[in-house]
Amino acid sequence: MRHAKIKILLALLAPALAWAGPNPRLLLPDFTALAQKASQAVTITLDPGLLSLAARFLDGNDPQDAATKEVIKGLQGIYVRSYSFDQDLAYRQEDIDAVRKQLAAPGWNRLVETHSKKTHANVDIYIMVDNNQAIGLAVIASEPRQFTIVNIVGAIDLQKLHRLEGQFGVPKLDIDAPKTAH
Amino acid sequence: MSEDLESQLRTALRPIAPSAALEKKLIACVTAKAPLAPPVAGRRGRLGFHPRARWLSLGVAACLLLALGIQHRLQERHERENGLEARRQVLQALRMTSQKLDLAYEIVKSQSTSLADENPGA
Repeated sequence: MRHAKIKILLALLAPALAWAGPNPRLLLPDFTALAQKASQAVTITLDPGLLSLAARFLDGNDPQDAATKEVIKGLQGIYVRSYSFDQDLAYRQEDIDAVRKQLAAPGWNRLVETHSKKTHANVDIYIMVDNNQAIGLAVIASEPRQFTIVNIVGAIDLQKLHRLEGQFGVPKLDIDAPKTAH
Repeated sequence: MSEDLESQLRTALRPIAPSAALEKKLIACVTAKAPLAPPVAGRRGRLGFHPRARWLSLGVAACLLLALGIQHRLQERHERENGLEARRQVLQALRMTSQKLDLAYEIVKSQSTSLADENPGA
């Protein structure tokens, strides 16, 4: 009886959910157990409120702050989970696969898929586009002793993000055209 | 007819000086209604509050103002701390994103180089 009610409710909600369009926000699993095992854990959850609060404390006269302010202007959220370990493969592949499955949903496009045989590092970059505008970015990087998931939600200006790479002392990356390397 | 009425009105409404008796009557009336003794100065204020109560209320008001000021300052400080922490997190998140994008770039670059080495004629 209860299951029937839930089914009816889901059936009623389905058109509304379909109408809502693609959702660039990933449901990140609870990594609490993993965080306890990790030698270093980074958990960043920035919702729209915190992003606007952060923007108020970014100095417009500082080049890095000004560029960051420009990047976060249209964003609705930044979510980062990163764990480093003292030994190889201390994390389960299933933890990453749970997130990867969500990226198979319609709307997400794989921009870059890389695998290094030398360092055993995998980096996948996904992007969600709506009306020719990037509305979501997901990066999954798994290395033997570290894995990182980044989910950026909102109107992402890749050009601005591109420019920001230089600001952080990281070489500029050509992310204009999709690439695949195995 | 109308002229007669007008002259009658003028006569009736002409200014008349009050009689001395009326003046005396009024003064007597005012004196009778006046307070017998003025309020004791020094013990009660103009509004009738006891001076101690007046100082107490002023003290309470000052304390309230001070408490509001402190609360506002603490709230401001708390918001500033939260803002700076949010700023730090934004910078860290974007730095980490950049690092991972760079890692992808390095892998792609190294593989392109090794492919070029394997096929120098290509």
